[in-house]
Amino acid sequence: MTAAIRGRTLAQIFHVAAFGVALAASPASAQKQGGSITVGLELDISGFDPLKVGVFDTAAGTAAAAIFDTLTYLDDKGVAQPKLALSWTHSDDFKTWTFKLRPGVKFHDGTPFNAQAVKENYDRQKDPANKCRCAFYVAFINNVQAPDDLTVVFNLNDPSVNLPAIVSPPGANFVVQSPTAWKTKGADYNRNPVGTGPYIPKSWIAGDRMVLEKNPDYWDKGRIYLDRIILKPLPDAQSRFASLQSGEADIVWDDEYDADNIQRAEKDPKLKVHTYAGSGAAVAAFNTKVAPLDDVRVRQALVMALDRKKMSQALTNGLARPASNPYGDGSWVKCKDDGALPYDLEKAKALIKDYGKPVDFKMLFTATPRGRAGGQVLQQFWKQAGANMEIEQVDQATFPPRAFMRQFQVIGWRIVDLADPDVQMYANFHTGSPVALANYSNPELDKLLEHARVTADQDKRIEDYCAISRHINQQALWFWTFQNTYYAMSNAKVKGLPKMYSGVIDVSRVWLE
Amino acid sequence: MLFFVARKFLYLVPVLIAVSLLTFLIASLLPGDLAYTILGDQATPETVAALRRDMGLDQPIWIRYFGWLGHVLQGDFGRSFRTGQTVLQAVSERLPISFELMILAEIMCLAIGIPLAIVCAARSGGPFDRFMTGTAFGMLSVPTFLSAILLIYLFAVELRWLPATGYVPFGEDPAANLRFMVLPALTLALAEWPGIMRVLRSDMIATLQEDYIALAKAKGLKASRILFVHALKPSSLTLVTITGINIGRLIGGAVIVETIFALPGIGRLLVGAIATRDLIILQGVVLLVGAGFVLMNFIVDMLYAALDPRIRHGHA
Repeated sequence: MTAAIRGRTLAQIFHVAAFGVALAASPASAQKQGGSITVGLELDISGFDPLKVGVFDTAAGTAAAAIFDTLTYLDDKGVAQPKLALSWTHSDDFKTWTFKLRPGVKFHDGTPFNAQAVKENYDRQKDPANKCRCAFYVAFINNVQAPDDLTVVFNLNDPSVNLPAIVSPPGANFVVQSPTAWKTKGADYNRNPVGTGPYIPKSWIAGDRMVLEKNPDYWDKGRIYLDRIILKPLPDAQSRFASLQSGEADIVWDDEYDADNIQRAEKDPKLKVHTYAGSGAAVAAFNTKVAPLDDVRVRQALVMALDRKKMSQALTNGLARPASNPYGDGSWVKCKDDGALPYDLEKAKALIKDYGKPVDFKMLFTATPRGRAGGQVLQQFWKQAGANMEIEQVDQATFPPRAFMRQFQVIGWRIVDLADPDVQMYANFHTGSPVALANYSNPELDKLLEHARVTADQDKRIEDYCAISRHINQQALWFWTFQNTYYAMSNAKVKGLPKMYSGVIDVSRVWLE
Repeated sequence: MLFFVARKFLYLVPVLIAVSLLTFLIASLLPGDLAYTILGDQATPETVAALRRDMGLDQPIWIRYFGWLGHVLQGDFGRSFRTGQTVLQAVSERLPISFELMILAEIMCLAIGIPLAIVCAARSGGPFDRFMTGTAFGMLSVPTFLSAILLIYLFAVELRWLPATGYVPFGEDPAANLRFMVLPALTLALAEWPGIMRVLRSDMIATLQEDYIALAKAKGLKASRILFVHALKPSSLTLVTITGINIGRLIGGAVIVETIFALPGIGRLLVGAIATRDLIILQGVVLLVGAGFVLMNFIVDMLYAALDPRIRHGHA
């Protein structure tokens, strides 16, 4: 072998070796162990006991994602993956689901995690004597059984083809809490939560900070990097952003109504804007049983008078993404034809003229500056089409009862970001549901909703949901304004943030560069 | 003096009863039903009626009021239905923070207001007096949230001298605690010093025209001695009242300031209770703050009487 050849071979070997080392090292060297992170939340955390707080908001969800585990989690493609459950099977009718649990897991208080603990979590939420504010969200579960330590069986009232995804969010209903802890701590449990998660609450000054420290016995400790997570409620959007700029917070929650700061952060090389285009949308429902909205021409005219791009510009500097169906870009439901009515002011005017009577009605909003701003924009669009809308603002406590008792003509609402459209679409549009706000009943629509619920083939389900969207859009039962988009802003050294499903900033597996 | 205190104390009782009644009525008359709030999305007319019965919400309002007052007098202000914390727990955790904020704000406010008032009074009508009176007038019209944001931008984001938000307990690290408190306290002080300055300035101008000041001048006393020794004390009577009233205004200001600077004080507790419709906490906090304000005014009255004998004898 000549020196030249030997040199080339060595170089090749070196290159191959270097490439191999790089491949092997890239994930390990990138993910550094240690450090702490401060998260700026928009709300104070009320607590973690579902009996007290009902459902978790995004602030409690961010803490819950670190303190607790769920049976499954969603990967970045939105597919359910094993977490506390290792595998799952279902009956042919999708009404019974059996989960096999991870062995050897312990709660932070040292008690074992097992099937009985999972069962007791659901029993507690469903017990009518507990009057859980969260009960509505597990109403589809008939009961949960624990035939042995590592097997949990969910018996459902209605079939569900996507249960492993449905139980994945770190919300009040689906995180697994220690039964021993809530039994021994009583009323104090709410502020002393015990889970199996990667971080253990060490201290909590109400309204100021919650400090979480790494769980040394976590079952997946190889993928946990930070030593400490500090959660701070910073309610004011301006000072929250200032805290990020001045380095007191490493990552902060935000939303598109704070568009100026988001756009400023996008231009700042020291900061990074994380966005997640979720499923669902901000929506509004017409009460189809009261005049003038009982006439489909009026409803269609009102929808066709909306220029969502201009709305987005007026309210969010153009950040909000217009929605034409209830699913959104983040959903696996993609429709070639969702039946959306186009923006057409002339057609809208003609429809109202055709109706022949004055179109005067009220729309219900929450008494917030955002509610008022949104109302005023809609009011202007509808005025151009010849309809007069009066803004009615009520406080948060009055809003849901007014909705459930159908005491409204038009009402603002939201379809939240969930892994599967079934739960919300069925509740929102099936005849007889307490939240079918349009007051509309149609056997064809019911049949589509029922079919989508029991069909395992995803393509067929997509067809069903697109047909449902076409029906709702053509009948103008509800309309959709903006798709759900979630924002967080961080300093650039925060790495590994997963998708912010439902706006929850899950920092339990991030690391600092 | 004893008779004066007793008489004032007798006035205090009906005022406190009125505060408790108003607090109860306001919380009861707010739109929204407590039972509905507790039950949330799963409320049905039946469950709401059952819970209302369990909680005694179906009783006439005066029975509920006396029941509630009875518990309050025994020190039981109730328990938040959301967090499970008792009102007293929640208030005692947060009161020291608001208290510290108010004391610091008051100190800053006096530290800015008193010297400016003295200088303005001494040079009354001059360019400095006119400039400061104008500035004070302008500062009165700057809303607290605006000065808070401007201070954060200047001192936290641009200069990086002080933290923008957060809190460290005094017992944990006194120096850090003060660093976190400076901007919120300064924000409150900026809103309050013009009042102090204007009142003290006009009182001092009046005092400086008294005969005994002319006598002191004739005796050849130094101007600074006349100002600080002879004129300041008699002029500071109204200042005591203003400082007392300021406490009430500071409580109001603290609601905004604590929210912007993320201080976990009483103001934040109140805002949170309103946002989550936590009526038990709301009722308890408003009652305690209201009663505290009334007591503070009582103390100011006492102080006032101690400073000026004419008041306790009913001549002024």
